[in-house]
Amino acid sequence: MTNLPLKPTLWHTLRQNPVTLKELRSRMRGRRAFVVLTVYLLFMSLFLALIYLAYLTTSGPGGSGARDAGKIMFTAVLGMQIFLVIFIAPAFTASAISGEKERQTYDLLRTTLLSPSAFVLGKLLSALSYVVLLILASVPLQSISFLLGGLSPEELIISQILILVAAVTFALYGLYCSARMKTTLAAIIAAYGGALFVTFGTPLIAVLITLITGAAFITTGTVGWVTEATLTYLGLTLSATNLPATLVLSETILQQENTLLFYTQSIRGHSVWLFSPWPLFILLYALAAWLLYRACVRHVRRISD
Amino acid sequence: MSNIIEIEGLSKRYGDLVALNDLNLTIDQGAVVGFIGPNGAGKTTTMRILTTLLQPSSGTARVAGYDVAQNPDAVRRAIGYMPDFFGVYDDMKVWEYLDFFAACYDIPPATRHGMIDDLLGLVDLGHKKEQYVEGLSRGMKQRLCLARTLTHDPQLLILDEPASGLDPRARIEMRELLRELQNMGKTIFFSSHILSEIADVCTSIAILEAGNLVAHGNIEQIRRQLRANRTIHVRLLGEREPLVNLLQTSPGVVHLQTDDLPADSLRFDFSGDDVALSELIQTAVSHHIPLVSFREEEHDLEDVFLQLTKGVVN
Ligand SMILES: Nc1ncnc2c1ncn2[C@@H]1O[C@H](COP(=O)(O)OP(=O)(O)OP(=O)(O)O)[C@@H](O)[C@H]1O
Ligand SMILES: [Mg+2]
Repeated sequence: MTNLPLKPTLWHTLRQNPVTLKELRSRMRGRRAFVVLTVYLLFMSLFLALIYLAYLTTSGPGGSGARDAGKIMFTAVLGMQIFLVIFIAPAFTASAISGEKERQTYDLLRTTLLSPSAFVLGKLLSALSYVVLLILASVPLQSISFLLGGLSPEELIISQILILVAAVTFALYGLYCSARMKTTLAAIIAAYGGALFVTFGTPLIAVLITLITGAAFITTGTVGWVTEATLTYLGLTLSATNLPATLVLSETILQQENTLLFYTQSIRGHSVWLFSPWPLFILLYALAAWLLYRACVRHVRRISD
Repeated sequence: MSNIIEIEGLSKRYGDLVALNDLNLTIDQGAVVGFIGPNGAGKTTTMRILTTLLQPSSGTARVAGYDVAQNPDAVRRAIGYMPDFFGVYDDMKVWEYLDFFAACYDIPPATRHGMIDDLLGLVDLGHKKEQYVEGLSRGMKQRLCLARTLTHDPQLLILDEPASGLDPRARIEMRELLRELQNMGKTIFFSSHILSEIADVCTSIAILEAGNLVAHGNIEQIRRQLRANRTIHVRLLGEREPLVNLLQTSPGVVHLQTDDLPADSLRFDFSGDDVALSELIQTAVSHHIPLVSFREEEHDLEDVFLQLTKGVVN
């Protein structure tokens, strides 16, 4: 008997991962999944219809009123997607591994030949597939904004890429909490703690830094352009760790500077290269996702002592 | 390869607690070994180390020739494990449950269908194939879990208290099932608290007490090991004093008892062999002691168990 290494290819994992199959089978069984999807879409449509009607009654068809309505509808759907990604995706995965521990099915799985990476990927894919389904289902609603003229293709594509990347990272973060913690309750608390921190904690830190440095400016009088440029870079980098901030800032830069990537700005007479935060966001979140994935696999592989 | 399990100097400590103390044990291919011990003896700990779920503090364990720490995947391929406590997934049909685990063992989909039917037939759950697992009774779940351990046709089954929580009839059925599996050529290593119940299925037993192996061998060997101190009952006509005086001076007689017995009876423990015992009877007869009966107390298996595990577990 030889010891064949069981390294599943990505394709194999995607196509016939037993964990994904099992999870999807039980999640899609019965009507619950479809009821949730239907209610979600109905709710979103109703909301958008109300916005549209409000603008129609105030400014009539055509003109800038429709454009504004398009913008607002796009933003509303985006807000819903952000909420889904930051708070629903980790909740889906936070119970994935700890639930197996609580139900005493984890040991059964760990004595099979299922590799830790296949297990982690299977759990990730099954949780993500539903979140991604909800996100993609709302894209047609967003496209209404095209018809109204308030939205460019770049805005739609980049926002959806950011949302999807964030979905993967937040789902993996939930999975990591689930692998670390013994109970689902602890995993969910840790997952929400982390999600709340990157969503509201980092802006809070940014505000604090601004206040402190602002105070420093006042006491020292003027600061050099280098200090100010450095602080600007710091702010951009910090905002690239935050999904709403990245979306808002990238949109603002697109509107004001008319660029998706770089632009120059004059700081105290010096012209400085600045950047739109979304590529950095993708880079940082992809890196975090990779590290979280490795950590998950390491935790699942570990033999308890 | 005749030893499918080879355990050498295996120890497991949880802080100060020694759950397993320098365990040495080998199990032959094809054997059915009962692993007996009171609560907390370390049976589950041993099995979790063998099934690659737990890291030993020291020592080595090899299964089917593979070291459990160095080569866990090869070990997992060779064993089917049924834990003492286990859960089942909700929202899953009986056949899906087996299909899922077969997939986890990389069994190709084409061969799974026939195999699932065979396994369900073996554990007598064929009629439950399309039902949800959560709707099964405890005994059925236990049988389903046993079927699950067989999906990849392992050589060795490690079953942690497979009969716990079952009613008497289901316990008998479980025993029959073990016998059937033995006939299929499986080596079975299973734990239990009740020695008498499993004695007739086992080819050998290993008795564990507070992390120490106190006996290992077939049932007869273990019985003989105990006969070092057999208990003899004697009844005689009239007074027992002459016999008491005789026995007090005879070699091999220990722990003579007359209290709480009728005036014509006594009991003693004897450490000699059959020859010495026969000589003792002849001496009594030659002293004209009127014996009515002279019999050795049958140790039943529970006594064996209790004697071997004198409550060392705290
Ligand atoms: N995770 C753990 N942490 C600390 N101590 C443990 C742990 N697991 C087991 N023990 C201790 O190790 C000893 C052996 O436990 P084990 O479960 O192996 O016994 P057992 O023979 O299976 O008992 P039972 O018949 O009750 O199932 C016990 O004293 C137990 O308290
Ligand atoms: Mg146990």
